[in-house]
Amino acid sequence: MMTSDLSSSPSSSGTEFADPNPSTDPETNSERVQSQLESMNLSEPSEVSDGSHTDYSGGDDDDENAGAVEVALSNGNEGGVSNGCVAGTSVEEEIEGGEASSRAEYPVEMEAGEEPPSPTSSGYDGERGSSGGATSTYKADDASEDEIREANVDGDTASQHEAAWLPGKRHVDEDDASISWRKRKKHFFILSNSGKPIYSRYGDEHKLAGFSATLQAIISFVENGGDRVNLVKAGKHQVVFLVKGPIYLVCISCTDETYEYLRGQLDLLYGQMILILTKSIDRCFEKNAKFDMTPLLGGTEAVFSSLVHSFSWNPATFLHAYTCLPLPFGSRQATGTVLQDVCASGVLFALVMCRHKVVSLAGAQKASLHPDDLLLLSNFVMSSESFRTSESFSPICLPRYNPQAFLHAYVHFFDDDTYVMLLTTRSDAFYHLKDCRIRIEAVLLKSNVLSSIQRSIAEGGMRVEDLPIDRLLRQKPNQGQAGHESPRDVSVGTGGPFGLWHFMYRSIYLDQYISSEFSPPVTSHRQQKSLYRAYQKLYASMHENGLGPHKTQYRRDENYTLLCWVTPDFELYAAFDPLADKAMAIKICNQVCQRVKDVENEVFLQGASPFSW
Amino acid sequence: MATAGNKSINAKLVLLGDVGAGKSSLVLRFVKDQFVEFQESTIGAAFFSQTLAVNDATVKFEIWDTAGQERYHSLAPMYYRGAAAAVIVFDVTNQASFERAKKWVQELQAQGNPNMVMALAGNKSDLLDARKVTAEEAQTYAQENGLFFMETSAKTAANVKETFYEIAKRLPRVQPTENQSGMVLPDRAMDRAVSASCCA
Repeated sequence: MMTSDLSSSPSSSGTEFADPNPSTDPETNSERVQSQLESMNLSEPSEVSDGSHTDYSGGDDDDENAGAVEVALSNGNEGGVSNGCVAGTSVEEEIEGGEASSRAEYPVEMEAGEEPPSPTSSGYDGERGSSGGATSTYKADDASEDEIREANVDGDTASQHEAAWLPGKRHVDEDDASISWRKRKKHFFILSNSGKPIYSRYGDEHKLAGFSATLQAIISFVENGGDRVNLVKAGKHQVVFLVKGPIYLVCISCTDETYEYLRGQLDLLYGQMILILTKSIDRCFEKNAKFDMTPLLGGTEAVFSSLVHSFSWNPATFLHAYTCLPLPFGSRQATGTVLQDVCASGVLFALVMCRHKVVSLAGAQKASLHPDDLLLLSNFVMSSESFRTSESFSPICLPRYNPQAFLHAYVHFFDDDTYVMLLTTRSDAFYHLKDCRIRIEAVLLKSNVLSSIQRSIAEGGMRVEDLPIDRLLRQKPNQGQAGHESPRDVSVGTGGPFGLWHFMYRSIYLDQYISSEFSPPVTSHRQQKSLYRAYQKLYASMHENGLGPHKTQYRRDENYTLLCWVTPDFELYAAFDPLADKAMAIKICNQVCQRVKDVENEVFLQGASPFSW
Repeated sequence: MATAGNKSINAKLVLLGDVGAGKSSLVLRFVKDQFVEFQESTIGAAFFSQTLAVNDATVKFEIWDTAGQERYHSLAPMYYRGAAAAVIVFDVTNQASFERAKKWVQELQAQGNPNMVMALAGNKSDLLDARKVTAEEAQTYAQENGLFFMETSAKTAANVKETFYEIAKRLPRVQPTENQSGMVLPDRAMDRAVSASCCA
């Protein structure tokens, strides 16, 4: 499905696999660890040695590194980058060598490999139109705007990565003629099949009408050939397309994220739009192809920009699972019980949430809530300041539950962080839902749940530093291999034990994940984002179709040692110091899994209403 | 419907008006005596309640602050149905919002409760320099259509309490007891509503 970019070279970083000789590992007397080691060794190198997934080149955080783009642009100028196109083969011929540039006579232009520099071109890549400009212009431009602002934010909010997002849309004054707009590292567009702009992450939609028409032209040109365009690569840029009936979604990115994840992001963006308007908007386009949808989305810029921001900090966007706020079992139990009572009284879904995390939730019989819907719902509520002023009653659509119909959502914030959402199909249920909220609030107060929640926020989630490693140390006091430092030394100053920096554990049955708090050295927003990008690639490579089910993957580069372990019950993603010892890393992963199982009653919502989909 | 009982009246009140006219700001000023310069746009509708004492009775307002965004227009009947009072808000610095207010008045006259007390509020009266709609023009329109008109400023609190106080005074004191506290809307209403907004 995916054509390798011609310009990508095999990574110089070594890719390693689970050690085939467990005998070299220091023996433990734990059968469990032993058996798991064996299972990890099952993975054959051939399964994982896929060249397209090995280049996590060091320090390549394109999203923020101004220098990296400089290189990309100059490459584009000199090399006449050949563009691979991931669609049917017939299409590849048509578009090869062409730019995603917009000229009125575009089909002809696209076939032409050499296009005269046109200063009026509204193409996304600035290289042609502005190639005459001095490179210093780019540098100065890059250093302004987002980059500086984000860098400043980094320093202030080491762990509060959510706080880096500023509500609303930025850079509205830009359009496709602005150099700054062209230099943005990740664009999202929603447009109609007649080419009318609906949403753009940057710039004013109406000013982008010409650019939008170009995107539409590309899509329909390919469609007219009986094919579909999924991905166009141009140098470092990927242009990802998603067609949803009369709605087209496009992402243009040079962030080095996987095609699968970018497509998943477009899917979520579409879902967010459906959540606000339902799929019945399709009918508007049937009646009037030129229908302008922008007024219907008025006032929702913050919802979309917050979602786009979450792609870089919220693992739920690629794990397709939700996460719970760690809480004493009794607190969650008490909340769950009252929510189930409420659902028995005719409420479809009842949720108590803390920011983006679940405290507890319940659903009516046979009703199940998809984790993606939960993500979109909490994003919608958290990004709209209006919900905080009072009780709200608002139509909302859950795209995975029923994309055609509105539900009615009652939303009320108990405090700055904790809120209740009650969803029903009945538009006249407001007073009933209000009564339900009063019942829920009484239980939360009586059981001190609200104060438990505040305590949990203050304490944070699981930390790699807190993992119990005593048992390992006790059992193997002379553990050091090949004469290097003792394990205790390794564990000092490098996050958790034996260089463990971070982990994510996803329970398959529960559709929930637990992620450790970020610990030094992964402290800045930029480092966290870069780690998530590495996880995303790992996730994509483990879930790619057609390569067979992988069980484990061990990968080392100059930034991290990454270990992924997939079983029918859970998936574990762990990041270690690049110098971490492999055998110890495997042992630590077993420890992490054991630790998660030990505390599963606190970090997971157990026995929720049947979640089957 | 306003229901009288022991000199205490429950009255459902709905605020309608264009995006950015200042509906939420008026309510927040009335209910919480707060004002924020950049009020976020309302989602769906927000519910507030506030009690007001007038000469002979205590009026408990159940206030529906509706969203002015176009996608929510079709939901308005859900909120104004059964309302005893409506405040139609426009922005005196924005002629289009006044035109939109007139449309709301028409809709209420056609669909709403014939005994509904209707107030027309010309908000942002503190912005003297930017005024586009004169008090006379609005006053004339209000008289012709049986509304009472007030120029308000949520920012300075001018005439905000007075508007709600005036509504409380005008509410009918004796009501047929129609014990219907919730909103009733046929199931099909949403379908109709959505398609209506899309054709706009």
